[in-house]
Amino acid sequence: MRPSIVVAAALAAGISGSASAQDAYVVGITAALTGPPASTYAPAMDALRIYLDGVNARGGINGKKVNLVIADDSAEPSKAAANAKKLLTQDNAVLLINASLSSTYAPVVAEAKNAGVPLLFASSVCPRDVYPPANEGQFCTTAFASTYDSRAALAFVKETAKEQVKIGFSAMAIPLSRGEMEFAAKQAALLAMAALPIEVIPPPTADYTPFATKLKDAGANWVFSWAPWVTQVRTFEALRRLDWKGDFITWAHLEAEGELKRIKDPKLFVIGANALFEDNLPIQKEIAEANKKAGSKYPPEQMTEGWIAGMVIEAALKGAGWPATAAKIQASMSNLKVDLKGLRGGPIEWTKDNHFRTKQYYRIYKWDGSKIAVVKDWYSYDVK
Amino acid sequence: MQLFVNIIVLSSIYALIACGYVLIYRVSRVLNLAHGELMMLGSYLLLTTASSFSGHPAAAIAAAVVLSLTVGVLVYVFLMRKMTGEMALAAVLTTVALGILLRGLMVLIWSAQQQYPGQALGFSNPAIALPGGGRISTFAALLVLATALTYAALFFFLRFGRWGVRMRAAGQNPLLAAQRGINLHAVYALAWGLSTLTGSIAGMLISLDSGLTNTMVIIGLKAFPAALVGGLDSLAGALVGALIIGAAEVLSIQYIDPLLSDVVPFLILIAMLVVRPWGLFGTREELDRV
Repeated sequence: MRPSIVVAAALAAGISGSASAQDAYVVGITAALTGPPASTYAPAMDALRIYLDGVNARGGINGKKVNLVIADDSAEPSKAAANAKKLLTQDNAVLLINASLSSTYAPVVAEAKNAGVPLLFASSVCPRDVYPPANEGQFCTTAFASTYDSRAALAFVKETAKEQVKIGFSAMAIPLSRGEMEFAAKQAALLAMAALPIEVIPPPTADYTPFATKLKDAGANWVFSWAPWVTQVRTFEALRRLDWKGDFITWAHLEAEGELKRIKDPKLFVIGANALFEDNLPIQKEIAEANKKAGSKYPPEQMTEGWIAGMVIEAALKGAGWPATAAKIQASMSNLKVDLKGLRGGPIEWTKDNHFRTKQYYRIYKWDGSKIAVVKDWYSYDVK
Repeated sequence: MQLFVNIIVLSSIYALIACGYVLIYRVSRVLNLAHGELMMLGSYLLLTTASSFSGHPAAAIAAAVVLSLTVGVLVYVFLMRKMTGEMALAAVLTTVALGILLRGLMVLIWSAQQQYPGQALGFSNPAIALPGGGRISTFAALLVLATALTYAALFFFLRFGRWGVRMRAAGQNPLLAAQRGINLHAVYALAWGLSTLTGSIAGMLISLDSGLTNTMVIIGLKAFPAALVGGLDSLAGALVGALIIGAAEVLSIQYIDPLLSDVVPFLILIAMLVVRPWGLFGTREELDRV
């Protein structure tokens, strides 16, 4: 068995190094490293691990190492609850991270609240509690943001479309995705678009063609999808197989960059808050080098989300000083500004009342025939 | 026309998967709840052979097919053989454990990200225009063809093949079959091998058509109602059951509510269990044994 697999096995089993060492910042993570939605979370957590390994190699934070304890919850609430309890009571984590499905939130939030430890959502969807007025103990670095994403996507459709827009929606049958598409349908109507019924697709589906058939038959010339990547891309590909000629806009999940290159369709637009590696920024080169050195199983372009979480955690722990307590870290996080060096359109800025970010930036990309190109450069919305 | 094509494709997917459930149950009375995982393993094996035999897609596919058959045989030899003679429930629970183990191993070995065996093999998947305005992707068409060929081959094998007759004998009366000199372990191993092979072929074709993620395992479970509705000990039943389930799903997506498509197979299954618990083509005796 290759060493990387052994490491991955250890991670999946929640085995860690000297987790109880008190001369280090102990950061606990409950993440969906296995199970159906693992493709969204596992690369981000691998990136976070690589980032913090780099921090430790450079001497740590405030002269202390960061001890990352990762436990797999397979996206199951009961496992997430057990993980959170263990991380907080046995490993004495001073910061807890959730990188899993929203169904795991309630038990993890409850455990973190009981322990008085701040909870960071990284790569998992930001809950309502991090938006203003924010819950004092919850924070989020994840790129996507419900309602803001739909507003940004539909604004682009409105300014791009040359004819009357008849827009279809594709959601996965999970509350978050359905809720967002219901919001988008209302938003589209406000923008004078003809909003078609939402196709809610159960996860997983053996064949997406029946759903695509319905979208095509309804006469959509645009389709917007905000769902896990598998639903987004398979709906699009099924539509193309049906000879549908319309435009498709969808959220730029971790997989988006590789998929744009694979599909090579100039009418597939991805909207996201993270810069794609096509930008070739210095920090992206740094990520690629670290990824290669660590022998990660995931491509570097899937590491941005975890890397950003790492940068924010480093800044938060630095601000808390040493010895670190949960209260000091929470205070540090409640007044934080992190320069993301181009990975997003602007910094992540948290205030006492806003634990999401004060501005949400978007960029839109597509395949232009030979490479990935920016269709619409950074534009932002104030988060109030 | 497109509606008809959609029904045929989805039914073929379920039928090809369901025949694996039937093969093992018919021969050994074991309900293999790791069938979805073994199907997914077949797809990952294709992904691996695609990179090992880079530039030689035929060799890669042949190697993946042989490996899938071998995996099925090995599962029996190293795991299920120990369950022979034990309660059926013990064997079923063993397959549940096997499924959990395989799921974890596959994520660790091949990672959780979406993969494309077709890309690795250098295949494209253009759509084919059909008379009447319908369209079907190349690999979906191949899947329909593979389902038809698999069922035809299994029919002839079980009806006329020497080992096929032995499999039927072992399924009907294992004690008598053993007394007649039939090597039961060899028959059971063959059943596991063929079941894994048919499941793997389904998995490979699905992943060639639309990619491979670790959610494929649930598609394996969605084919289970097709096998039960048709009758767990009947291959013809699996075919009819798949058609009923596939048609119900597609029609509910088109005319009622897409969300209902996830529930409809199980509604039909419950109705069947109430009205005719042994399925459309199953036998009452087989149900009693369960």
